[in-house]
Amino acid sequence: MTFPVFNVGDVLTAADMNAAGLWLVKTQTVGAGVSSVNVTGAFSADYANYRITWTGGTMSATDTVRMVLGGAATGYYMTFVYGTYAATTILSNVNDNNAVRWNNVGAGSTNFASVRLDLYNPQATTRTLMAAQVVWPTISGSAHGFLDNATSYTDFTLSPGSGTMTGGTIRVYGYRN
Amino acid sequence: MSDPILIQIDDVVREATPEEAAAILASQEEPSGDDQ
Repeated sequence: MTFPVFNVGDVLTAADMNAAGLWLVKTQTVGAGVSSVNVTGAFSADYANYRITWTGGTMSATDTVRMVLGGAATGYYMTFVYGTYAATTILSNVNDNNAVRWNNVGAGSTNFASVRLDLYNPQATTRTLMAAQVVWPTISGSAHGFLDNATSYTDFTLSPGSGTMTGGTIRVYGYRN
Repeated sequence: MSDPILIQIDDVVREATPEEAAAILASQEEPSGDDQ
């Protein structure tokens, strides 16, 4: 039997399971009208790299979604380069230069909200790198950066730039090492 | 009277302490891009 195509009655072998590339580590439903969501037990030595999504929710105001790892309150670097749906030029880079958080890992409004990002090595004692795709109601762009310390983290917190978050599901996936 | 500020830790949603609420309100007054 060879993955990824299986037939009825095939024996599922360890080799096939070990070839699975992405595992769902944690699912967290977001409550109503919360100002932050802390997701614990997200990162472990089982995986070096992670995909994090938040879909199906909304925000009380049109604004960014921010992120911190553990209790880290400094050392966040990021560029958020975006364009607008109403023009063809790239408008701006919004930067975090040794900031207290990543300020643009997602966005939301009363109509939709989303986070879609990868984290590299959050649990390892090395720098954590972040790459996100960010969708606002009027703009969209990419955010990339890193956290400048060698601390190991197991949890993260998402919060809106203003107002609150409601509903939807945060999912944490681990890329198989 | 304003609505309470709620924070969530995994499945638990609770009202923020006065100190936590003050920190959240202060952070939401900051711009979305920091250059510090």
